[in-house]
Amino acid sequence: MPSFRARQRLWLLARVAMISLALIIALLPVYWMVNTSLKTQVEVFTAPPTLWPQNPTLENYVSLFVRRRMGSYLLNSIIIVGTAVFLSLVIGSLAGYSMARFAKDQAQQKLNMWVLVPRMIPPVALVVPLFLILQHLGLINKQLGLILVYTAFNLPFVAWMMRSFFKEIPIDLEEATMVDGASRLRSFWDVVLPLAAPGLVATSIFSLLITFNEFFFALILTSTPAAATLPVGTAALIGKTQTLYGEMAAAGVVASVPLVIFALLVQRHLVRGLTMGAVK
Amino acid sequence: MDSSLELKRPPEAPLLRRHRWARLLPVALVAPTALFALAITVLPLGYSVVTSLQEFRLGQPPAFVGLQNYQNLLHDVNFKNSLGTTLVFTITATAAEFVLGLMLAMLLKDEFPFQGIIRSSLIVPMAIAPVVVGIIWRLLYNADVGLFSFAVQTVTGKSISVLSSATLALPALIVVDIWEWTPFMFLLLLAGIQSLPQEPFEAARMDGAGPWNIFVHLTLPMLRPVIVVALMIRALDAFTVFDQVFVLTQGGPGTATEVATLMIYKTAFRFSQFGYGASMAITLLILVMVFSAAVTRAFRGTV
Repeated sequence: MPSFRARQRLWLLARVAMISLALIIALLPVYWMVNTSLKTQVEVFTAPPTLWPQNPTLENYVSLFVRRRMGSYLLNSIIIVGTAVFLSLVIGSLAGYSMARFAKDQAQQKLNMWVLVPRMIPPVALVVPLFLILQHLGLINKQLGLILVYTAFNLPFVAWMMRSFFKEIPIDLEEATMVDGASRLRSFWDVVLPLAAPGLVATSIFSLLITFNEFFFALILTSTPAAATLPVGTAALIGKTQTLYGEMAAAGVVASVPLVIFALLVQRHLVRGLTMGAVK
Repeated sequence: MDSSLELKRPPEAPLLRRHRWARLLPVALVAPTALFALAITVLPLGYSVVTSLQEFRLGQPPAFVGLQNYQNLLHDVNFKNSLGTTLVFTITATAAEFVLGLMLAMLLKDEFPFQGIIRSSLIVPMAIAPVVVGIIWRLLYNADVGLFSFAVQTVTGKSISVLSSATLALPALIVVDIWEWTPFMFLLLLAGIQSLPQEPFEAARMDGAGPWNIFVHLTLPMLRPVIVVALMIRALDAFTVFDQVFVLTQGGPGTATEVATLMIYKTAFRFSQFGYGASMAITLLILVMVFSAAVTRAFRGTV
């Protein structure tokens, strides 16, 4: 039987080994994409594969924007996602405030649960009718169509997230300003909102992540470069580039790096975001 | 609903009752969000049910056919297969993600050098767009240039194309899902573990309980609410997986990886059979609802 100290040292060693392995598994595939995106077409096909680009080049990225119209997909994404996130943030945080402060009676609680419904229904159950409805309205392949859909799907998320942030702000603060004669809206604007600002930022980054990465609705509701978002453009590229793996990898980098940085910025709130406030 | 709301309202903070409109404020604030929610769920769902009762193809006026689509569905071998594939995918992936996530959470729950950086690095996979995850693994699995294929070839001497193998394509997709979503389990379980009260653990250690006993009889039971939430979210998500499958295999080879969502997509939007596609979607929704209700009932009171 090894001594207590030896066993402890062994356990530490095992822990380090397992954590290192997990890190390699998590990061190597991502590194491989970045690595491939910086290689020339010839080097991509070299066997054995080179662990880092021998002649690093940006030609894949240039080709992406010059020949593959990545710029217009990127612009669509920014317009659609930006508008939808802004709208859902304004409308949804008002709802979240109400849910945090007035959730005492049953009718109100029922209303609050209704808000959650769109999140519980799998998108595939809604996509056929949504497509047909938007087609009637002439909103297929239009930015506006996807903006409406994304706003509606973001709202429950924003409302429930902001509810959990608003709940952490002591109600006494508001009541104090209201005793001093401020209206509820004034005290909301002057007292609550500044305190909720970090939560608002976290919530908006979350909606940004979810919406920016969304693929299913975007694929079905937009297909032309006039409205298609970055994930749709990227997926379409796979068919077009065939064996141009460097370009494919570059597209992946463009479509993910900014978002990964955003996600790391809000990781303190990540658990709350992933469970819509159910687990903190 | 509005009037009954006002009647039932119990006395609130007196400040709220200063103005008549102030009583309506709570509802007025939620109303736009609730209306949007209804507009995007109840309305389309109703429309979907109607569509599922129609023979509705592109370029033809829809015709009411009653339950014909659902009857066809009962005998549709492809649909049954795709439900089976989806089930295998969901159960295997969720179970593996849970076990691995729990292991990682236990490994990293105590102080550890570079804890912050390690945690951030481990959650990178789930921050990447699913479409890009598809690209990453296309690059790895690719028979000509893939790192994974190269490793397999070096070890076994055989060149394989994982994604075009009828037997290996589904496991390959499950591996991708595990890679992407184990961080999710890890994060949730870690948060759960770290928020547990310390006293029971100290008491158990005082009584001489070993680490394994503490884990099985203390950590796991106390963690149950978080475990249920995490498994539930993950299973429902995996059950409607689409993006990675679309990018990696498009359901192939043959129909080896044709998960339910992908089959519905193809039926409705490739073959333009909106009615039949809608009946599949409704069936899937019912299955999901039954599953959620069963889980909620089973764990009522514990969560």
